[in-house]
Amino acid sequence: MPMKGRFPVRRTLQYLSQGDVVFKSSVKVMTVNYNTAGELSEGARKFVFFNIPQIQYKNPWVQIMLFRNMTPSPFLRFYLDNGEQVLVDVENKTNKEITEHVKKILGKSKEMLEKEERERKKLSHPATFGPKKYHLRECMCEIEGQVPCPAVVPLPKEMRGKYKAAMKNEA
Amino acid sequence: MLPALRRCRPGSVPLPALAAALGPGPFPGLCPAWCPRALPARGRKTRHDPPAKSKAARVKLPPPVDPEELLVVLERYRQHRLVLSALRAEFRAEVLQKKQEERLAAEEEEELEEHRRLMAWNEEENGRQRARREERLRKQEEEERRKKLEIAEKQARKMEAFLEEKEKEVLQLQEEAKNFITLENLEARIEECLDNPRNYNFAIDKDGRIVKRTVLT
Repeated sequence: MPMKGRFPVRRTLQYLSQGDVVFKSSVKVMTVNYNTAGELSEGARKFVFFNIPQIQYKNPWVQIMLFRNMTPSPFLRFYLDNGEQVLVDVENKTNKEITEHVKKILGKSKEMLEKEERERKKLSHPATFGPKKYHLRECMCEIEGQVPCPAVVPLPKEMRGKYKAAMKNEA
Repeated sequence: MLPALRRCRPGSVPLPALAAALGPGPFPGLCPAWCPRALPARGRKTRHDPPAKSKAARVKLPPPVDPEELLVVLERYRQHRLVLSALRAEFRAEVLQKKQEERLAAEEEEELEEHRRLMAWNEEENGRQRARREERLRKQEEEERRKKLEIAEKQARKMEAFLEEKEKEVLQLQEEAKNFITLENLEARIEECLDNPRNYNFAIDKDGRIVKRTVLT
């Protein structure tokens, strides 16, 4: 499979999961107005090229729209669910500054993210066994150091029921 | 459910339909409906084999239904199901409401406060950006004006220089015009030239010394 695009690293899961902007649940739509030419929109262009995939990966339910060459200066606009609109002017800013700004005003804080992570962990117990969908392991034979699965490696004679029964009958 | 209910009653199984084929066994007049022999079983023949000649006159009747009992039972089931589904809907609504309340309660006052503070900071940032932009535009305008002025000045200077140049040329020409040969002084000038022969000959040696004093012939 050849690499596609100018910066194929943007398509890797590792890059995408490195995005740290997780929007609050009230943000529904993000709109970016920028220009394809000009010094002032340089940061906005870089932001759209490098950071928006990361943001969309972390926020799959937020609609992101891009408008090119419609206004003389670049800006971002967020539409919240209570009807509020937040305008962010990004003229002459680097893409790093833009992400920092956005994270500060509308991103979930680190403590909140950690709290949510903990809540999610609480729902499932890691020590239980069951279907792969809900548990980590299905059978004890999967764990290193335990008796391997008899389907793969036959059990030694002494552990098998028919042998034990035969010994008991003999005795 | 209904056939099962049917089979539980001792006298309900119609004897003529069963007696010939199976025989009630230990209970002559009374055949409990749940009797292994009363259930259809395939046994020896497959489903594609034709039935035996002895079964030609067999009339298969559906299980008999007692209408009042049917009505009563149906009514009871209807009510039971109604109550159960109502309960389920009730519990579902309760759970949903609890979830909603929890979600709303989570957005407390301090979070709103935080949100407002961040929005205010954003506004400030926008304001600063505006200021910077205005500054930049102003500077740009200044720059443009200055450039325009400079160009105009340069142009003016160039124009001046040009005019000066032309003036000088004209003056020079005027000066030279004094020495021109016109129709009036043509004869005089000819006479003058003939009277003063000029010697343009010269000699030069290998060292580059010019000798102008030569003999004119």
